[in-house]
Amino acid sequence: MAIHSKSHLQPEDYSKLADQFVPNSDKVLATSPYDSELGKNMARDARKVINGKLKIEDFHRVYSASLIKEFGDQYASGPSETSQNSSTSAGTGPKWGMVIDLKKCVGCDTCTVSCKAENRTPPGMSYNVVLETIKGDYPNFSITNLPKPCMQCDNPPCVQVCPTRATYKMENGIVIIDNDRCIGCRYCMVACPYGSRSYDFGNSYEQEMIGYNDVTSPEYGIERGKRKKGDVPEETVRKCSFCYHRLQRGEEPACVETCIGDARYFGDMSDPNSVVSKLAASPRAFRLKEELGTKPRVVYLR
Amino acid sequence: MNTKANLVNNMLTPEHKKGKLEKIYWISLFIVFGVGVYSIITGYFMQGMESTYLSNIVPWGGWIAFYIYFIGLSAGSFLLSTLVYGFGMEKFEKIGRAALLSAIVCMITGILFVFLDIGRPDHVMNAVIYWNVTSTMSWEIHFYIVYLILLVVELYFSMRNDLVKVAKSNNFKGKLSRFLIFNKQEYTDIDKGKDKKRLKIMGIIGIPLAIFGVHGGTGSIFAVLKAQPYLNSALFPLIFIISALVSGTALSIAIYVIKCKVKKQQADHSMIRSLGSMLALFIGIEIIMVWYEFLVGFYGLEHEELGTLQLIMGSPYSWSFWLFQMGFALLFPLILLVIKKTRESINWILGASVMVLIGVVGVRFNMVIPTLIMPKIDGMPYGNYYMNLSEWLTSFGVIAMCLILYTIGEKLFPIDELDSHEKGVSKHE
Ligand code: SF4
Ligand code: SF4
Repeated sequence: MAIHSKSHLQPEDYSKLADQFVPNSDKVLATSPYDSELGKNMARDARKVINGKLKIEDFHRVYSASLIKEFGDQYASGPSETSQNSSTSAGTGPKWGMVIDLKKCVGCDTCTVSCKAENRTPPGMSYNVVLETIKGDYPNFSITNLPKPCMQCDNPPCVQVCPTRATYKMENGIVIIDNDRCIGCRYCMVACPYGSRSYDFGNSYEQEMIGYNDVTSPEYGIERGKRKKGDVPEETVRKCSFCYHRLQRGEEPACVETCIGDARYFGDMSDPNSVVSKLAASPRAFRLKEELGTKPRVVYLR
Repeated sequence: MNTKANLVNNMLTPEHKKGKLEKIYWISLFIVFGVGVYSIITGYFMQGMESTYLSNIVPWGGWIAFYIYFIGLSAGSFLLSTLVYGFGMEKFEKIGRAALLSAIVCMITGILFVFLDIGRPDHVMNAVIYWNVTSTMSWEIHFYIVYLILLVVELYFSMRNDLVKVAKSNNFKGKLSRFLIFNKQEYTDIDKGKDKKRLKIMGIIGIPLAIFGVHGGTGSIFAVLKAQPYLNSALFPLIFIISALVSGTALSIAIYVIKCKVKKQQADHSMIRSLGSMLALFIGIEIIMVWYEFLVGFYGLEHEELGTLQLIMGSPYSWSFWLFQMGFALLFPLILLVIKKTRESINWILGASVMVLIGVVGVRFNMVIPTLIMPKIDGMPYGNYYMNLSEWLTSFGVIAMCLILYTIGEKLFPIDELDSHEKGVSKHE
């Protein structure tokens, strides 16, 4: 098997794996009520789109007619407006939001760990923490676990104070930091009411984890290569970005994907029919420090 | 504290008598400075912020406290100098230039402290290039630059007449002066009138700049933070301004009196006494403001604010509040400046000023650190911060640099009015 080969898996190996995944793929496809040939052709051309050999517009032009024939009014033609990469006009596109159900959270800290793995945060830094508060005395007491990522506030105090505009709010609701511009003054850390920001002191797990420095997390989709002393993002401020780099490739944030209690929901808050919008409208919903007027995009269900 | 020793040392410099004292003064300053430079290189440049005890919970520490301390000294001494140049109170003429010089030097020191606190010195120009209009800090950075330029220009015009006199001599000082006045030969009465007008305009532009731009602005860097309920009050920038006046006045008194003592000149008693009563007035106003700040703070019974106040007044570090902030910065000097016997004596006034200068350091630390130690959300840990050796060494190094710069300034430029030397001071008595 490829796993035992001396080199790493190459793209062809992956296709081979995929081809062998189902013993007789054509037979399986034949059971589908829809046109298999169309699907296969589309899959082939979709790869071309991803590789940049075919324009997304052309792709849609080619397949639009057959798709309408196949799926009727279930199919909406044209490049998806919700696509992260397409140049959508202002105000359209998704506005990401998160809902965390505190009744479902068991306080296992899986989100914290998966966030750390995903974003490769150095020692002493955690974009996501789970705060445990115990109320009352034994035997009459209750424990609340409060998972706390960055709230991606709609009125973010951190953005207000940044002297360089290195941190700013994007169209999709996420507050990001341009580490190449940040001067590391830490004013935003003092201004954030939720303690969501951390400073990269340049620490590393290299001592206990071989290969930690081999790659910097591709936050915001920027590949930075090796983590080197003195290179950005060291000595700048970092924080949760709703795993923007994962969203760009259509994945949920790591904490949402790994939550064992299914306590986290993620989606488009501007769509009133999305799960998150519906949950955010529930009477159980509340936001942290609402009185400050920061308008967090992370909603809790009590 | 070392600061005090240095400060006293500084003022003890005899200009004409190259005595033992001066040697000790220079050597000790340069040792402290050298150690500071060493710790900046090994700490700040080689390890970055890792060399401090700052953390994600307490991201600002001692250097920021010293930064606002020096900005305060600068704004305070400048406002004092405007009494002379803006409002023509000639009575205080003798401290005018010294106040301007110390405003410049303190400003440089303050900016250096905040520069040290920045994680990426290689990105620092971004703060000048990209202006965020909603950021108080961004405004401050630009105001500091304008203010520093104004101070330098104002100092230049305030001593131009004496520069012309000094330029007649043929030593280094003379050459420097000749260069500075573009070989001007004569200082006529027309020049004098023009300069006076210029100074007046600059003094008057400078007042709003120092109040709104520099010190009120620095105060609002902190006051706008709704994440820190203890700081988030409209009174806070005002307290900043008034405590700048307190420390600036104290600095000017201290510099003047110590300088007179070192040079064995007769000090101008009546001026010192009126400066002393001004200091008492400022302290009185500050006490009123601080009282209401705390009263309203307590009355809100807001969890974080109460927690911060408790940290300030009842934690293991509360000595810095009771001894430094309440004692040295407010009550002790006020008592000294009010009691009849001590308020007449120059030595006691000097004592009160030095106390203020030490106490205000504590005030600045209490503004920055306790509120950050207090957790922002229930369940988050308390911070733990004190300055480590590297931070202290760096701070003392920078303070030594401040004193070195000031002394060099005193030596190179005619900071004392030449007339008053020649005619003697007793005339004013
Ligand atoms: S939680 Fe803090 S860091 Fe996140 S957007 Fe709000 S103020 Fe900024
Ligand atoms: S640390 Fe960076 S992101 Fe934060 S306020 Fe300063 S420049 Fe802006």
